[in-house]
Amino acid sequence: MENMTFFAPFTIPFIVGGVAMFVVIAAKWLLWLVRLPRVDRRLIRHNFFTRQTLLAVWEVFRESLLHVRIFRVNPVLGFMHMSLAFGWFLLIVVGWIETVAYLGWVWVPLQGHVFFKYFMPVNGIEGHIQLFEHLMDALLLLVLMGVALAWFKRLRSKMMGMRRTTKHVLFDRIALSALWFIFPARLVAESLTAAIYGGGGFLTGSIGGVLRDIVPSDMLSLAYEPAWWFYSAALGVFFAAMPFSRYMHILTEIPLIFLRRWSVRPTAERKSYDRFEVEACSRCGICIDPCQLQEDLGINDTQSVYFLRDRRYNMLSLKVANNCLMCGRCEQQCPVGINLATLRLNSRAKRRNIPHEGRYKYLRGVDRSSGSGRVGYFAGCMTSLTPGVQRSMEQIFAAVGEEVWYADKEGGVCCGRPLMLSGETDAARKMVAYNTDLFRRHNIELLVTSCPICLRVFRENYRLDGIEVLHHTEYIDRLIAEGRLHLKADGRTFTYHDPCELGRGCGVYDEPRRVIASVGELREPKHSRRDALCCGASLANTIIDDGQQQRIAKRMTTELEATACDTIVTACPLCNKAISRAAAHPAEDIAEVVAKNIVR
Amino acid sequence: MRNLNFGYGISSPRAINLDNNDLRKSNDIIREMPELQACIGCGSCTASCTAGNITSFNFRKLHTSVRRGEYQGAYEELSKCMLCGKCRLVCPRGINTRGLVMLIKRKLGDF
Repeated sequence: MENMTFFAPFTIPFIVGGVAMFVVIAAKWLLWLVRLPRVDRRLIRHNFFTRQTLLAVWEVFRESLLHVRIFRVNPVLGFMHMSLAFGWFLLIVVGWIETVAYLGWVWVPLQGHVFFKYFMPVNGIEGHIQLFEHLMDALLLLVLMGVALAWFKRLRSKMMGMRRTTKHVLFDRIALSALWFIFPARLVAESLTAAIYGGGGFLTGSIGGVLRDIVPSDMLSLAYEPAWWFYSAALGVFFAAMPFSRYMHILTEIPLIFLRRWSVRPTAERKSYDRFEVEACSRCGICIDPCQLQEDLGINDTQSVYFLRDRRYNMLSLKVANNCLMCGRCEQQCPVGINLATLRLNSRAKRRNIPHEGRYKYLRGVDRSSGSGRVGYFAGCMTSLTPGVQRSMEQIFAAVGEEVWYADKEGGVCCGRPLMLSGETDAARKMVAYNTDLFRRHNIELLVTSCPICLRVFRENYRLDGIEVLHHTEYIDRLIAEGRLHLKADGRTFTYHDPCELGRGCGVYDEPRRVIASVGELREPKHSRRDALCCGASLANTIIDDGQQQRIAKRMTTELEATACDTIVTACPLCNKAISRAAAHPAEDIAEVVAKNIVR
Repeated sequence: MRNLNFGYGISSPRAINLDNNDLRKSNDIIREMPELQACIGCGSCTASCTAGNITSFNFRKLHTSVRRGEYQGAYEELSKCMLCGKCRLVCPRGINTRGLVMLIKRKLGDF
């Protein structure tokens, strides 16, 4: 038995497919790694021998095999992924242990492990361990359950908690079909083997027994070789198609997890790291359902899964890249943790970012700020269209006796985020430089802004060391906590709308709620906090028209009004405008509510 | 007689002959954003404009000229726009003005 070659003609498709997969994937990864910018390579070297590497191993186990995050979104979908991934993994591991148990520590070629039952059908000869048979059958059953669920999901996605599943490209369909056949083919091949040679566990053994009873033995022998050929071919086709299909994610998620643990991140500039993120997308389609463009407007070619697909196969259109609210609802549900917004942004940048030397030269020497103080107030462009917010902030500043320097009371310069959202990162840098210089020149220590869009860019893209940046809700919350601002009860009930940029963007959820709770009763809409809906007026989207914006606003406002509150409160001038347009009563900003209830 | 001033000298005489202008790009722009035809020329976009507050940038004038096929200097002028989006909020006709800025720039020479 030791001089067994473990070769049969039927294994050729498997071997060819497997080698092709290995070569293509290795080439892809190497290319992406070699092309990483120097900063990232330094990060990898720096973080390689740290705890992060061990944490990455643990995360690979949890996410690539068990799929814990998908379980959290949807248990049935999680089970499907877990049974396929973990089940298949265990089949390989237990299969390997089985060969070692029977043959000892001898080298067995890969196809010897995979097609072990073919090469050693009656392993009852010496020291046959029935437990292996049962264990392998149990694992096969587990995977088959996953396959059955996958079939079921195609037919009825709603039963899996998904209203819509992804539409696929050709390579996906080839790989998907092959994948669906792999395990049923294995079941048939091993059952036939059990029927002819005996052996097999509770599954293959039983089916083999039945086959032996009802099918003539010459028919069994006739079907035997083709069954193994079919199994090998299904594996071969799947492996060959895999690097070009969505199943590339199975292996790409592993380096992605390591790179992420080593602090490599996508940036406004495209880089080869993006390829790891793009190809780690499994096109599970979890991002489709949260998308309001899909839900409210029936637009179904722009969701993150399609965006990533288009980008991966170089067929990304400007329209798809731009047609996104960047609300972040999909990103926070993505089980792979792909930085969808950043990838979307740098796709836009690739198309739009043409540096222009003389651009914004007119900013030089402009300073329309007024007042003086260690606290700076940057209302933001949008706030200048909601003067009530600005007035309320002035009242609050006056009530606590704060000396305030107003950056843009008489008209200021945009924070730069709208330009960044349109992909003009280089142009936006001029605005960043202008505002940074303005803040520094006036020696402020605290910068309060009323616009979450500005807040986010101040925190993420400005270098304001020494200047603390707060949204006005955080500032008011702090004033109340410090006992500097006293509010009386308003008597109204409020529903708070989380602006995307403030909530998911900057992680500010509790401060606005605390402030509202200190003047009245706070009610939560159906979707709130991390799950809050977008008002539709997002600056990130330059494709949808006014009517479409209003439809998005209408549905989210209806949800806010369903709480039967007296007043809808928000903390973003843009959301405020959008809600006020759709609601029966105008929305109010937290600053306005607070200013009305100051106890002097 | 030569010194008599009838007041016609305030603005230099200017006639636009649409037949002489190349309207292909203009038509392209309107085809991609038909809502632009709903513009009533109220000038809210210009009045609220952040860049217009600092410079002589005038968005109404710009997109009106572009629609008439007068593209001279429009691209350079549009580079002054900060895309802040106030104009879109104030537009009484709900025109996607930010999209329009990007569209005109694209048609007139960006990438």
